[in-house]
Amino acid sequence: MSNFKTHLYDEHLKLNAKIVPFAGWDMPVQYTSVKEEVSAVRNSVGVFDVSHMGEFFVTGPDALKFVDYILTNDISAAEVGKAIYSPLCRENGTVIDDLIVYKFSNERLLICVNASNIEKDFTWIKSKLGGFNCELVNKSDDYSLLAVQGPKTYETLVKVFPDLENISYYSVIEKGSFIFARTGYTGEDGFEVFGSHQEIIELWGKLIALGVTPCGLASRDVLRLEVCFPLYGHELDDNVTPYDATLGWTVKHTKENFIGKDALTNKPTKYKLVKLLLDKGIPRDGYPVVNAQGENIGVVTSGTMSVTLNKGIALARIDVDKVPADDVFLIDIRNKHYPAQLVKKSFVTGGHK
Amino acid sequence: MATNYPANLKYTKEHEWVSVEGDVATIGITDFAQSALGDIVFLETPDVGTKLSAGATFGVVESIKSVSDLYAPVSGEVIEKNSDLEGSPEEINSDAYASWLIKVKLSDTNELNNLLSAADYENFCNSSH
Repeated sequence: MSNFKTHLYDEHLKLNAKIVPFAGWDMPVQYTSVKEEVSAVRNSVGVFDVSHMGEFFVTGPDALKFVDYILTNDISAAEVGKAIYSPLCRENGTVIDDLIVYKFSNERLLICVNASNIEKDFTWIKSKLGGFNCELVNKSDDYSLLAVQGPKTYETLVKVFPDLENISYYSVIEKGSFIFARTGYTGEDGFEVFGSHQEIIELWGKLIALGVTPCGLASRDVLRLEVCFPLYGHELDDNVTPYDATLGWTVKHTKENFIGKDALTNKPTKYKLVKLLLDKGIPRDGYPVVNAQGENIGVVTSGTMSVTLNKGIALARIDVDKVPADDVFLIDIRNKHYPAQLVKKSFVTGGHK
Repeated sequence: MATNYPANLKYTKEHEWVSVEGDVATIGITDFAQSALGDIVFLETPDVGTKLSAGATFGVVESIKSVSDLYAPVSGEVIEKNSDLEGSPEEINSDAYASWLIKVKLSDTNELNNLLSAADYENFCNSSH
């Protein structure tokens, strides 16, 4: 079976993008250079085609109650017009996916999920609808999605949409058939713009004409890792709880009930996710992490060369009972042990407000 | 992106180039390879005195998002390495054929017959990618 292509595929080819398979899709991994694309987003503005992601709408009288029940974060407490990040967990507390909910009203919410998990998520969520007076529709095939990211996002977007409100971080508004959300996966200010395929193709063309840098999946991964955002399949998977990925803040025990509440009550933790910075060597996914005695204590879940810092950075999953008291971590790179510094804050501080 | 294939060099299917003078081979990675890798940020090559065996890995080149092994085009002993390049591996992106990695004293000059001509290598790149 051939991979899916987004409706912007021909636009990517026109820009000489390098295309790679990702989650069943043929996606642009880079256009000119990962360094240039990362710098554009940190310092100016870049645009990503993320149309492969999934869009589910939940509508009806119980829509909010239902979404709040299936997710660990508190969707009820959030104001209408806000976006909320949340894991989607099983009864045993393991993570099916991580996603963003857009709360248009108490009767209408949009759930945006990872491309690789669209079917798994939809099947799971649908199976939980019993007893709720609401409807779940998978609209993933109807929407294209651009992530416009970087400090110059708003001033660029208002050139295309002169009446676009300067909404606050993690807010959402609908304008005609477009949805504008002040969200993203880079740590910078930015908007994610959902629209029909034709509208988004036109928007892409206008943004490129305005000098916005087209950015691929490689720069997106570097950007999210520099600000320590988790990626499903790396920091999160079917075998870990939110607590294994330092996402305890997204589990709201004060809620009356939600799927996984009992299992998550005691904050079950098998792993500690740590941030490691290297002076020398580039950590990669799957590389072993060892302690001062050279004993294996965990594994790198995501690693790359940071473009912004020009150093190797990693998120690593450490067995909770093997976390070294002396904070000495080394990464095994081709059988050589490279010292890694444990850092508490994200490697790079994004500029979102 | 236009890549180039200088006619005076020999090539491998693993995307190394070889320039031969007497019994010394100078080895680098091709323009096609640097273009495919993107921004090169790390290079690991063997020390002088290391014995290489044709076809075996002898080092690593890393871009921001990838790690690729380097494969020895020929057998022999490393007699010189381009240490300057380790501090500025991005020079490979600027000019792959000026950015040599190592020089090897050939142990078997007959192995040179196994290398590809510029035309054959260009055909290989065009057909496999």
